[in-house]
Amino acid sequence: MNRGVPIALGGALALAALPYAISDFWIFIAIEVLAFALYAVSFNVLLGYGGMLSFGHAAFFGIGAYAAALLVKKAGLSPGVAFALFPLAAMAAAALAAVVIGFFSVRRSGIYFGMLTFAFQMLLYTIALKAAGLTGGDDGITGLKPPGAFARPAVYYYFALAIIVPALYALYRLVSSPFGYTLRALRANPRRVQTIGVDVRSHQLAAFVISGAFAGLAGALFAMSSGNVFPGWLNWTASATPIVMAVLGGVSTFLGPALGAAVYVVLEVMISGRTEYWPLAMGVIILALVLLMPAGLTGLARGRHK
Amino acid sequence: MMGATGEPILRVTALAKRFGGLNALGGVELSVAAGEFRAIIGPNGAGKSTFFNTITGLLRPDSGRVIFEGRDVAGSAPHLLVRQGMGRTFQITSVFADLTVLENLQVALLAHAGRNWSIWSRAKQLYTERAHELLNLVGLTGDAGLPAETLAHGDQKRLELAIALAGEPRLLLLDEPTAGMAAQERIESISLVHRVATQLGVACVFTEHDMAVVFAVADNISVLHQGRVLAEGSPAEVRASPLVRQVYLGESITAEGVAA
Repeated sequence: MNRGVPIALGGALALAALPYAISDFWIFIAIEVLAFALYAVSFNVLLGYGGMLSFGHAAFFGIGAYAAALLVKKAGLSPGVAFALFPLAAMAAAALAAVVIGFFSVRRSGIYFGMLTFAFQMLLYTIALKAAGLTGGDDGITGLKPPGAFARPAVYYYFALAIIVPALYALYRLVSSPFGYTLRALRANPRRVQTIGVDVRSHQLAAFVISGAFAGLAGALFAMSSGNVFPGWLNWTASATPIVMAVLGGVSTFLGPALGAAVYVVLEVMISGRTEYWPLAMGVIILALVLLMPAGLTGLARGRHK
Repeated sequence: MMGATGEPILRVTALAKRFGGLNALGGVELSVAAGEFRAIIGPNGAGKSTFFNTITGLLRPDSGRVIFEGRDVAGSAPHLLVRQGMGRTFQITSVFADLTVLENLQVALLAHAGRNWSIWSRAKQLYTERAHELLNLVGLTGDAGLPAETLAHGDQKRLELAIALAGEPRLLLLDEPTAGMAAQERIESISLVHRVATQLGVACVFTEHDMAVVFAVADNISVLHQGRVLAEGSPAEVRASPLVRQVYLGESITAEGVAA
């Protein structure tokens, strides 16, 4: 705790000062890092704490993004009102989807749970692709732009930061809470959790919905920055992203996946700017990671301190 | 029937469970008094596990009643039975492996207090005092900070007992509590359960293979055979029963165990 305070303060200062130190291009990248950090951390609430590996988490990221895009483009609200409402609307839409998907998925565990989340995601992907009247089909929804000064990268960066930092804090409180402890116990031994008087499925469902809602928020914040949303965001390949980020950073620490997201996004920008072999590079990185440091980057750092 | 006064804490009547053509339980009758220590024994395939899983809610009985403290709880979900005061432990040691010993108990205490849905308070400081009391009770003082998986097998059993006690059960159901232990360790382990349960006034029903363990602590013994209670009574009565001797195929049951 005492050690954590200066680190948190230093981190907050660095995040606040960042736009003064980097170009607009890198501010865009920083926004992407923040959004994916929230995405990866919310995903890891399920994986690292609850022991539930979702193969379909892009569904929630994508639904949040589409909800925000539709609110801005098609709800007929004034730009200011739509902009004020989109984070909450995205969370609500993603949470609603997570209630339905989770209701069925938590009835199974392990690989079957993963397969159910995967199946629902493909369903949503198809809807995003085919319901062209609403979603723009293959072309997605483009031309999203925050109103007024928020369109400036640095301003939007602070806007996103002001949402993402409290969101991460809320998730941190969640995993440190009695609910979070119960979640960790669930990962360790679901059958035993039942015999301390806990309804396992409803806990798993609650974790799934909370995780989905924050993934939706991340998707919406990213969509507003990138200016568009495409059906590919809901495709199953997109669900690998938070898995890789979480494992890269380390699933056994709260902020490990956020670090993983930062490394992943920055590497992608740097490597795909130079070569078309980004997937190859990512493959090598994942191999090295799993074989050489299964506890992720944070595991590596902690090991060195010992 | 057992010499205890008042309503039994657990009364099982005509409990039946079939698996396909197999009558796993064919009308089991059982009555356990408050505070009693009851052993369930029987040869392999007698229905001990089925019986155990049925009264703990893992299996739904086909018919019959499981009356706990006057209420029929047959078919209730396992977590609801625990909340009503029926604690249980498992044959295979079952703790939260990568949580610390202290956290294992905190989780159980939080669940018992109905606070497992609290999403904002910090769990770290909650119920530490009560958790330490329970650790003292089962003899795990000093191990609070260790990950549960690093404990020796016998100590994990102690932890499991403490987890079960965190729910303040009035009845504790133990499935083969000494499975996988060395002979002396078994007596030690069951004696701990007996001592703690007696101290807290908790009734216990346990299944057991080892007759030495059974005779060391049981107030009464029920012998299951082919899905029914074949004999029942004090250890001396059961030991003297010709029926029981027959079931154990001519083996004689002594305080030292089943001798060939």
